[in-house]
Amino acid sequence: MQKDVKILVGDDSILARKQLKDIITTRCDINPIFFEASNGQEAVDLYKKESPDLVFLDIVMPVKDGNAAVREIMEYDSNAKIIIASSVGTQSQLKAAIEAGAKDFIQKPLNAEQVCRIFTSRIEGR
Amino acid sequence: MYAQFFGNYLLSRGIVTKDQLIRAMQEKSSAHIKIGTLAIHAGYMTANEVDRVIILQTHQDKRFGELAISEGYLTEQQVTELLRAQTPDFLLLGQFLVDDGIFTIDEFQNIIIDYQSESEIDDFSYSDETIDQIDHMIENFFVLTERALSSNEVSFIKLLINNLIRFIGDDYTPVSPSPCREYPTTFCVSQQLIGSFSVRTYIDMPEDACIEFASRYVGEPFYEFDEYVRASLNDFLNLHNGIFSVNMSNECSIELELAPPVTETDELLTFEKETYLLPIVYPFGMIHFIFEVINI
Repeated sequence: MQKDVKILVGDDSILARKQLKDIITTRCDINPIFFEASNGQEAVDLYKKESPDLVFLDIVMPVKDGNAAVREIMEYDSNAKIIIASSVGTQSQLKAAIEAGAKDFIQKPLNAEQVCRIFTSRIEGR
Repeated sequence: MYAQFFGNYLLSRGIVTKDQLIRAMQEKSSAHIKIGTLAIHAGYMTANEVDRVIILQTHQDKRFGELAISEGYLTEQQVTELLRAQTPDFLLLGQFLVDDGIFTIDEFQNIIIDYQSESEIDDFSYSDETIDQIDHMIENFFVLTERALSSNEVSFIKLLINNLIRFIGDDYTPVSPSPCREYPTTFCVSQQLIGSFSVRTYIDMPEDACIEFASRYVGEPFYEFDEYVRASLNDFLNLHNGIFSVNMSNECSIELELAPPVTETDELLTFEKETYLLPIVYPFGMIHFIFEVINI
């Protein structure tokens, strides 16, 4: 039986959330349980409520950006597994994400194989 | 033009660790500032000599390299070499990792080849017709603005066309750009790039065109003007501006920020700053891009 994996997806675009969920649902061999946040603050609140196994976060979001959300989640749970998925993979954003505690940085547009590879390695390592 | 930052490529391949990359990014930026710093680093000049040239620069309107040559500190060949080392920026990042012993210069060469073949958005795979069309569009902008477009502006427009071809399709026809003071919206989304190159880009199209735009962008059919279809405009802009800022960071060490994309609610947009309208015709309808120049 496929194991349940709780996944938090934080992105202000409903379409970007759908694309990521579709990749995980169709290509990764698990039973995903998704939680969705449309800004960084919602992501932090949902993390505290649901304790997901894995988090995907965009950087550019209203209210609170992804890197600020990474910092807050890591303060709450230093074992959190957070993966940034963003189109803005500049030097400063990459550096900020790593320093905040993100485990991986995926440059958009999403590559399904890369998402699966990172997803699998992070889930198996839990 | 690159699809991702070199440092992220190295990290995702496991070629460097996070700590090694952060160190390299810091080292690189500290050595990138001036050609004089590079000359010291290369062992061509002493710090005193660099200081002397910088003082000479305050009296004479000449480049650092020119003065260093006339003072006999550098040869022309050395200046050329140092200038080449300054751009693109990601080569410096790699050089520092070589210096740091993370990989050898031979390995670095291979990494660069792989990086370019996987991450370069290739201008040259387009037909001559497409390249002519893009050049013609840039010329039109040149006539409009009555000033030379900066290399960053040219990169921005070229990347936009590149992204349209890559994500929507090459069956488009650009219409000549024109200055724009006001614009009546249909469905319009905008996003601002913030930093030393700041442009607010708007994308506007009718609902039926938007449905087809989204279908092409996502690669699956949509039939209604729903929230997914509307979000495709935000995502396209966000992707374009994101990749542009990655390129500026990767090649020029210029760090830009993006504001979240917003849906315009005004029926009539009015512009006080320099603004241009660029219509692009696809078989499914006309897309309007508007560029509001905040500062460049």
